[in-house]
Amino acid sequence: MRDCSLELEPGEVVALLGPSGGGKSTLLRALAGLVPHFHGGRFSGQVEVDGLDTRRARPAELAGTVATLFQDPEDQVVFTRVAAEVAFGLENLGTPPAEIAPRAAEALAAIGAAHLAERPVAELSGGELQRVCLASVLALEPRLLLLDEPTSQLDPEGAAAAIELARTSGAAVVVSEQRPDRVLEACDRVLFVEAGRIREGEQLPAAWLPRGMHLPASEPLGAAVCRLEDVSFAYDALPVVVGASIQLGRGEIVALVGPNGSGKTTLAKLAVGLLEPDTGLVERHGRACYLSQDPGRYLVRERADEEVALAVGGDLARSRRALAAVGLAGFEERHPRDLSSGERERLALAAVLVAEPDLLVLDEPTRGVDPERKDELAALLRAQAPGRATLVVTNDLVFASEVADRCVSTGAREVALA
Amino acid sequence: MSPAPAAALLAGLAAAALLAGRTVSVAAIAALLLLVCLRGPAGRRRLYLAGALGSGLAVFLLTPFVSTIGWHVLWSGPSVPVLGRLDVTREELHNGLFQGLRLTAVGLAFAAYALLLDLDRLVQAAGFARRSVLAIALGTRLVPTLERDAAGLVEALRGRGVEVTGARGRARLLAPLLAGSLERALNLAEAMEARGYGRPGATRAPRPPWGARERGALLLAGLLVAIGALWL
Repeated sequence: MRDCSLELEPGEVVALLGPSGGGKSTLLRALAGLVPHFHGGRFSGQVEVDGLDTRRARPAELAGTVATLFQDPEDQVVFTRVAAEVAFGLENLGTPPAEIAPRAAEALAAIGAAHLAERPVAELSGGELQRVCLASVLALEPRLLLLDEPTSQLDPEGAAAAIELARTSGAAVVVSEQRPDRVLEACDRVLFVEAGRIREGEQLPAAWLPRGMHLPASEPLGAAVCRLEDVSFAYDALPVVVGASIQLGRGEIVALVGPNGSGKTTLAKLAVGLLEPDTGLVERHGRACYLSQDPGRYLVRERADEEVALAVGGDLARSRRALAAVGLAGFEERHPRDLSSGERERLALAAVLVAEPDLLVLDEPTRGVDPERKDELAALLRAQAPGRATLVVTNDLVFASEVADRCVSTGAREVALA
Repeated sequence: MSPAPAAALLAGLAAAALLAGRTVSVAAIAALLLLVCLRGPAGRRRLYLAGALGSGLAVFLLTPFVSTIGWHVLWSGPSVPVLGRLDVTREELHNGLFQGLRLTAVGLAFAAYALLLDLDRLVQAAGFARRSVLAIALGTRLVPTLERDAAGLVEALRGRGVEVTGARGRARLLAPLLAGSLERALNLAEAMEARGYGRPGATRAPRPPWGARERGALLLAGLLVAIGALWL
């Protein structure tokens, strides 16, 4: 961050937009006192929250006044069960014991997650976990609510509900987002953070403006590369996919959309062969590759080019071309763990694109990716589409409408495909 | 049963195994703990049982080569620098079995604690040293978390067409798993601090009151330690 000045009024909602690595998360951490206390670095200037100077008050002292929802829900969970997780912050703040359980239950109900209260955290989907984490911070009833990409794993309805809940919480809200259409209507003002500086009151770059959506629902195109017929799958006793059928043809890009927990990821894994169906038929022709929704799983090697080359037997020349194609030219020698979350997402994408598969399945490929990079990704997938069948699992309907030839949807719980 | 007395019972059994002087007593405690562990979820218990039984077996196999006790030589091997002559005696084998069973019993007690106890309720029930109990609970979660991370890495590699096979292939995942767990630990510490962890004046949600069963279990845990020290 450089020369940043900002004042937040009680109850106002501020959208924080800007490219990956531009400083949005650092700004949020400075407001929570985590910069400099937790992260170190060189700090000058002053941040004051509700009369407390963050250089003197530690983040734990600011907690309650400030509440922060971090980017990655998997990395902020302390307890193994949902109710205990939501109660954790309340206990730390010294909430009277009799009020802890009711306030935790109230926060879960407000975010539509009351039914998850007794569930083990490890069994939740990414979207469900993100709701639980949001309930954990809302339960604290803070005066300043900091949300770092709070809807990255939520379906559109869940995202709208989450933003509305934050807006009506009474707190000043700063929400960092890579999907501007989800916050622009709800916010009072927009800050654009780029290269460590805050720009306010200027026209947003074109990629960041809200766009219209059209989700096409046509018939399959091209020769079938993958076909699932009447496929069912259950994790232990829990049926996740029931009687699903879908065909993916060479040359087409299909977007798979649907609510959280409706079996999109499971269906994608069945298509690519990472899971075997309990019943039904799965046919595939040629090589299949799958991009996980967790970019942290693409950090096996110590150099970016070696990581990408894993899928092509160590061919570094192909690896470098794939890195360049996703905008990571010049990152070849970087350690994958030194990359920002958006850069890690692109590294993971390069790691599967490099194999030039016949069937490419991408699970939430735009999580943490800014709109400009999304446009580049859509263009790249479109350019490479003729050679393969592509399935994109996504909650990002804007991206789906830009990249897909057709769109299929999962139902509320069981998969019912158009 | 509340998890705190159950944890005390397991600790009592582990202490009894460490204090007992007879091999048969330690073997009985280990067998009892093995039965308890078998009540854990089938998918998760495999790793814990392999760890507990494998480390006990390793101690049994190595002890005769690094100790020099007894006169009844069963096998006489070569002379090795630092260790000396590699003789195996009946007494060394017995001692190896005893120490191996001890380690197995302690490992199985930990496995039962990790597999069967509700760690959230254990932390909530902690009347004192809550920070230490939370640290132990988080540490316990490391094993299943690493297991899940490893499965995720393997799945992502398979999704790229790379199969992970053999001990060497799996060993290559150790460094990224370790780095990942360190990164997660930092992120978790940051999230905990942001939610007020470590701030004075913390309270806790009311815990359910203990009944006769819980008090009895606590008493039995104390008795187990005494019995282990005095009679087993």
